[in-house]
Amino acid sequence: MAGGDGDRARAPKRHKSSAPSRSIDETAELDYTDDDVRDADREVKKRDFTKLELKPDHANRPLWACADGRIFLETFSPLYKQAYDFLIAIAEPVCRPESMHEYNLTPHSLYAAVSVGLETSTIISVMSKLSKTKLPREIIDFIHASTANYGKVKLVLKKNRYFVESPFPEVLKTLLKDDIICRARISPEVENVKQRCLPNALNFPMLEEYDFRNDTVNPDLEMELKPQARPRPYQEKSLSKMFGNGRARSGIIVLPCGAGKSLVGVSAACRIKKSCLCLATNAVSVDQWAFQFKLWSTIKDEHISRFTSDNKEKFRGMAGVVVTTYNMVAFGGKRSEDSEKIIEEIRNREWGLLLMDEVGYPLVIFEVHVVPAHMFRKVISITKSHCKLGLTATLVREDERITDLNFLIGPKLYEANWLDLVKGGFIANVQCAEVWCPMTKEFFAEYLKKENSKKKQVLYAMNPNKFRACEFLIRFHEQQRGDKIIVFADNLFALTSYAMKLRKPMIYGSTSHVERTRILHQFKNSSDVNTIFLSKVGDNSIDIPEANVIIQISSHAGSRRQEAQRLGRILRAKGKHQDRMAGGKEEYNAFFYSLVSTDTQEMYYSTKRQQFLIDQGYSFKVITSLPPPEELPNLKYYTLNDQLELLAQVGVFCTCCFLLVNSLRHLNQSLSARDDMIGIEHLEEDSDGKALMKARRSAGSMSAFSGSGGMVYMEYSTGKGKAGASKKPKDPSKRHYLFKKRYQ
Amino acid sequence: MVNAIKGLFISCDVPMAQFIVNLNASMPASDKFILHMLDPTHMFVQPHVADMIRSKISEFRDQNSYEKPT
Repeated sequence: MAGGDGDRARAPKRHKSSAPSRSIDETAELDYTDDDVRDADREVKKRDFTKLELKPDHANRPLWACADGRIFLETFSPLYKQAYDFLIAIAEPVCRPESMHEYNLTPHSLYAAVSVGLETSTIISVMSKLSKTKLPREIIDFIHASTANYGKVKLVLKKNRYFVESPFPEVLKTLLKDDIICRARISPEVENVKQRCLPNALNFPMLEEYDFRNDTVNPDLEMELKPQARPRPYQEKSLSKMFGNGRARSGIIVLPCGAGKSLVGVSAACRIKKSCLCLATNAVSVDQWAFQFKLWSTIKDEHISRFTSDNKEKFRGMAGVVVTTYNMVAFGGKRSEDSEKIIEEIRNREWGLLLMDEVGYPLVIFEVHVVPAHMFRKVISITKSHCKLGLTATLVREDERITDLNFLIGPKLYEANWLDLVKGGFIANVQCAEVWCPMTKEFFAEYLKKENSKKKQVLYAMNPNKFRACEFLIRFHEQQRGDKIIVFADNLFALTSYAMKLRKPMIYGSTSHVERTRILHQFKNSSDVNTIFLSKVGDNSIDIPEANVIIQISSHAGSRRQEAQRLGRILRAKGKHQDRMAGGKEEYNAFFYSLVSTDTQEMYYSTKRQQFLIDQGYSFKVITSLPPPEELPNLKYYTLNDQLELLAQVGVFCTCCFLLVNSLRHLNQSLSARDDMIGIEHLEEDSDGKALMKARRSAGSMSAFSGSGGMVYMEYSTGKGKAGASKKPKDPSKRHYLFKKRYQ
Repeated sequence: MVNAIKGLFISCDVPMAQFIVNLNASMPASDKFILHMLDPTHMFVQPHVADMIRSKISEFRDQNSYEKPT
């Protein structure tokens, strides 16, 4: 028992590097008293590749293809580039570290492959050319089975109605025998029909192509890419997948944040040259998209309109670009008169292109906010479009709902490899680090108490050692490197106390629009403000291209997506292009620190959160000795007394919360209001103005308003920020000089 | 006269010591096993609890570690 125990408590980290090992049931029957040898034995038995036949010249070929559909690619092979382009078209990437990639052949990925124009025979012949081994029979059969029926059925949109077409009458008969499809003839539910036709059901994947050049029914929209818009090679490649044979295919393009998704979207719209509906996640990105359209294309200002709860611009002309949010379209309640009119217009129009930003997002939002999952489908069923293009940075594959995208939008057309973009200097080279902060004795004692189970999150976020690590990192990067730093904290209590103690500006849900703009402006321009604290509002809606360091204090449980989104905040490449290339001046020019309190739940979440980035080939460096001992006395919370005071604050804060929670429970408040109290922030997503009004009206009872509800102080995130946003945000440079000072 | 007690000497890091203290506190009075808390990282406990502590700690560790599903 002596020694070692503390070390072993940290052992879980070792799992991270080990390859996906035994299955769950196996773990269960494993006898732990047995030694590791037996364990290893089993693994060998499970993956028996001895049957694979090596070709004599295998050294020159880059692929290992296994009978179970898994494919391994050696990235150091001279044929890597060609093999990668081919594999990304036919298979699903599982994990892509530096020298060895793993892919998986699935019916969906093969469906995607044939839909971008690859033929069955080509797939098989190229694969056998690249493979080190003779292609297993199973794989060849599998490819045949998955691709045989492709192209037999077409889905066509004509005059706002969908038609299923096929040159093979017997295929149509088979389809009609199916219950769901038969019923859809009377009440059209196009996504159900598409779902039934997918490889895992009837296996007649539908061909959805838009011959936009020969479409004479819908009016053309005059827009071209401006000459200064030069798509990068990978952007070109993704577009070529979409417009392979002169027609437009529906599908999803996956590019990391900061790699120029919007240029891909705008280029696609410019090629199709028809009305385009662009869906974004919130009002801020609606503005950004509208701006991107004006920046990259020659579209006239009057042809582009925004539709948000603050900004209801009318359509003009026969064709145009409309930018709006998912919530605005999917909103089910009563709308105001103007927005009703606009929605009616959106519903009746035949869109040439439906451009969806962050396609993974609606699924995730629904999961977090417990909004009915059919909402996303509703958006798609409301809007009739010839072609859908989904853009996203993070398709977290383990989420089974992500496969719904296959029939809701279309197959994945292209997915960029993050490390290749880093090598090309297109996105920043980020050093990811996980900083282990041991819990202090007192905080850990509180953490362990049963009655504190709800305080756990606050306790590990407020761990004084973590605070000091954070302070040290901020100081180091500000003073030694002159970096711009974002500190993320999901927990509002942690956010406010860190920011107040360190005297740094912060932005969270209820920060007014004016203040946000002011803080961001200073962060961008002033050399005095180099650090800002953000709650999860900063995850994707705030654009901060200047920042190159992220410190993460607390986060939304095990959300892999959030981790990737946050990393995306610093991926936009900075500095000179040649410095960033391999062998340039700076090896790393961006830093991502995740502060984790050891021996707490946070370790579990942290490892889980990193999985997505690890699959993209990133590695997390673990830092255990931060801050360095000689720095200790200069940092806050050095003395035990200070630490105890902090603990007391946490305690007081939590007690207040529970009092409030109880009184709120009395009032039958919504769950979200209660969560708010333990420092969990719920963001009000952009929705129709009326809905906000409604939500506000039902907020409390008589006793609550008179103060007898026991509430002393609470903060709502009301729609005030948005009311402010409806007025035009003032440009500080245009302000009268007498007032300039006041706002700085 | 020297009083000798047979026991187990545990040496661990600060948080794990707290974990064991907490474990001890959650036990009914008759099952309390810590004989002496020597300092924040060392303690002296009854000899028969070694396996129990081991299993509790490994359970706690498992809760805090994520394994990628295969």
